[in-house]
Amino acid sequence: MPAGAALTGGVETARTSGGRRPKPDATQVGVVRSKAGEQAECRSRSPGRMRRSYQKYGLINLLTLLAVGAAALAAARYVNSLAGHVAALHLGLGMLVAFVSWFQLRLEEQEAEERLELEDLVRSKGQAALFESEESELLPARRAREQFERYFVPVFTLLLFGLQAVGVWWMWRWLDRQTLPPVAPPLVAMSFFGLFALILFLLGKFASTLARLEDQRLLRPSGDSVLFGAYVCMLAAAAVVGVEAGWPRADYWAARVLLGVLALVAVETLLNLILEIYRPRIRGQRPRPVYESRFVGLLARPEGLVTTAAEALDYQFGFKVSETWFYKFLESALGWLLLLQLGVLMVSTSFVVVEPGQAVLLERWGRPAGDRALLGPGLHLKWPWPVERVYRYRTDEIQSLMVGIEPEEAKPGVIDTRTVAWSTAHGQEDLFMVAHREGMSRAGPGQGTERTAPPVSFLVVNVPIQFQIHDVRQWAYGHKDATGLLRNLATREIVRYLVSADLDEIMSTGRGRAAEELRARIQRVAEEKQLGVRILFVGLQGIHPPVKVVPEFAKVVSAVHTRQARILDAEAEAIRTNALAAAQAFVLTNTALAERVQLEQVSLARAAAFTNQEPAYRAAPSVYPLRAYLETFVPAVAGARKYVLLTTNTQDLIQLDLQDRVRSDLLDVRLPASRP
Amino acid sequence: MKRPVVTLVVGAVLVLIFALLLFTFQVRQSEVAVVTTFGQPTRNITEPGAYLKWPWPIQRVYKFDRRVQVFEDKFTEGLTADNNNLLTAVYVGWRIEDAQAFFPKFGGGSIAAAERMLEGVVGNAKGAVVGRYHLSDFLNADPTRLKFDQIEREMLELVNAQLRTNNTGIRIEFLGIKKIGLPESVTQTVFDRMTSERKVLVSRLENEGEAEAQKIRAAANRQAAEILAAAEAQATRIRGEGEAAAAQILPVFERNPALANFELRLRALEQALKERTTLIFDERTPPFDLFQGFLTNRNAR
Repeated sequence: MPAGAALTGGVETARTSGGRRPKPDATQVGVVRSKAGEQAECRSRSPGRMRRSYQKYGLINLLTLLAVGAAALAAARYVNSLAGHVAALHLGLGMLVAFVSWFQLRLEEQEAEERLELEDLVRSKGQAALFESEESELLPARRAREQFERYFVPVFTLLLFGLQAVGVWWMWRWLDRQTLPPVAPPLVAMSFFGLFALILFLLGKFASTLARLEDQRLLRPSGDSVLFGAYVCMLAAAAVVGVEAGWPRADYWAARVLLGVLALVAVETLLNLILEIYRPRIRGQRPRPVYESRFVGLLARPEGLVTTAAEALDYQFGFKVSETWFYKFLESALGWLLLLQLGVLMVSTSFVVVEPGQAVLLERWGRPAGDRALLGPGLHLKWPWPVERVYRYRTDEIQSLMVGIEPEEAKPGVIDTRTVAWSTAHGQEDLFMVAHREGMSRAGPGQGTERTAPPVSFLVVNVPIQFQIHDVRQWAYGHKDATGLLRNLATREIVRYLVSADLDEIMSTGRGRAAEELRARIQRVAEEKQLGVRILFVGLQGIHPPVKVVPEFAKVVSAVHTRQARILDAEAEAIRTNALAAAQAFVLTNTALAERVQLEQVSLARAAAFTNQEPAYRAAPSVYPLRAYLETFVPAVAGARKYVLLTTNTQDLIQLDLQDRVRSDLLDVRLPASRP
Repeated sequence: MKRPVVTLVVGAVLVLIFALLLFTFQVRQSEVAVVTTFGQPTRNITEPGAYLKWPWPIQRVYKFDRRVQVFEDKFTEGLTADNNNLLTAVYVGWRIEDAQAFFPKFGGGSIAAAERMLEGVVGNAKGAVVGRYHLSDFLNADPTRLKFDQIEREMLELVNAQLRTNNTGIRIEFLGIKKIGLPESVTQTVFDRMTSERKVLVSRLENEGEAEAQKIRAAANRQAAEILAAAEAQATRIRGEGEAAAAQILPVFERNPALANFELRLRALEQALKERTTLIFDERTPPFDLFQGFLTNRNAR
């Protein structure tokens, strides 16, 4: 890098004439700076030169932002100003930018000082001896500045982006939680923020103008931050004025707008970081501080809008975009274009397109527009804003609300296939009281009928109610929060129904009837209150006992099954018993039948045999009986154990063991029947 | 010359818009407004339309929603006439009836301030009315004995009377009991009772099943016994018929009773010897009478 280029921007020499130096053409920044650097180098070599330091201005900007930022935060907390809180955040982030730009400015000035000392040394001792050493050893301040720009600045910019993004996210959520506390005392709030705005404006105007006139690129970020801080404080003060002038949400919306601006600055910081990688490097051109926001610069110095845009384009693309015909056309016709845009905006408010399923209330100067007060779907003409305004309502859409437990929202894009069981709580249980009829009937005579407290049971209720708006005027003009009122009315009717309902019946057989009755009741009270809605559906599918007693309800169901199982077992046993009895009866009767037949047949056969035996008996009265006897006797005793006593001595005592033996012996073996 | 014309037109438009914002205001159908001049209420606007005003800080416009707004009371505990602790929550539909009376009383017309006042008044009325009624008036198996409407009416009268006395510019349109409940400690005992009820049901069901089973078994046994008895009777009848048929044959045997009896004895003997039998015979029993005269101890002596 040439010495002249290295000096550009880092060291500015004092004006010899004391007048303003003509501002270099922004599109030729690199070239001009290079020339300016050479001139500065020439001037710096001339004896008696004066070097002007700018770091003190950077330090003043830094300290001012620090002090005013802290004071703004304290004031915002004291007067409950939402916009003041966001303004303090802006000032705090601006203070960080001012600190880094001041430090970088300080490094560059040290480098320039070092370069001048080196040149003096060269002149006094001779070049040859001096450049025997390495350049980095000779110029430590330059090395420090290079290291700072290479490592610290990108890291800081990334950190700055993180702080801006986190700040926006956190403050946005913080604003969501706010309940619009009144700004009090308003006059003190206006005074505080007006004072801050005045201080910052005076200093910021000076610093910003100085940075532009002296082409101090490192003084510009802090100057812009101070000037922008002035406008932010002005907006905070204006928000307080707005609240006092009858717009209670002015402070809230001012805070939102300031957060939106900070979000844009954060996006720009990130883009700067990314684009810095692809930016063409031009020799001799000092890089623009990557943490510097053009958007803040634009807001702080709106008069430089065109210049800022041109500088940005030239800087990023490396050629003169601002000299193209299109750019020049935009620059010259900007006013007309804005006017045209304004006209188009006004004309666009003269049409209203009502989507299918919608109804629109048209108001002229705040009152319903006669016979055109209600517009259906289609294209309609109307007077432009603010003469006529429209308010849209979804009349055809079936809307729903929930009484009791609010079920957990399913994650978007995920189909919820979880089983909904009584034993699992689906949210904070909302217990509804139910009178216990069985207990009342058991209470005895005279009890429970007059003023005795009845036994109570609880039910957990999750009742979806679906409805349609059928009278938009009643819905819109009758109640501020018609949906909330409908939820309250529905809850009341459900409570009133349940306190006299039967617990078991409503959970089982009476569910459908109860749902229909509740629908009719809610419809009736909605008509009484002129809500303008039609109740389409009331679902009692979400009524069940509290989770704590659900296991006992499950045991009852188990007991029902146990009871049925026992009955079925007994029935099976009875069927077996009866079947066996029938079979046994069948056997008995059939046995008897067989015996009867046998008896009859045998008797007949014996009579026939007797008739035949009789002649033989008459013919041989002594032989026939013996033959018959022996023919019968022999086969009959064939299987019997036989003892034949041939006793002649009747005095002998014979002992016979006639007991059955436990063990059989050979004598017990049954002999095979003799063959006939 | 072009640029000044454009600048003038844009400036004029902006001035016109700014003037409209400063010198006019609209009151919607759903709104009422109060205009103050140097802090003093000077106009009370109840009709919708566009109106002129002097810019702030000379005149200032306070707009209020004239529609019915709903305020929900907290779920608070009270004591009924029969000394039962009861939690109740009510909702109140209220509207700004007189904006000029309303806005100075509630910090420049703050709805939050009005609702804080309502919370106190409603809470007081609720406690007073709940204390006059029994728990059975809130909770009864007989719907005709519930007194919700009466209780709500009394609360509404009390609240309206209080608001009229203070001339708050607020009118209560309706009041409803949103919810009733029992304290946490009582809730637990209710759970215990519900558990016991279920246990009774379980016991009843299981024992009913056992009893039913026993009845079924007994009936089956009885039916089996009946079947068997009938079968036995029928068998006996059948056997008797067989006997009767057999008896018709008996005269045949009377022709020779000696032979008939002999035959009968032979059949009896045959039947009697069918099972395991041990027979002891002497030498006189045919056919063992053939042993007579040999192999006796008489010869050995």
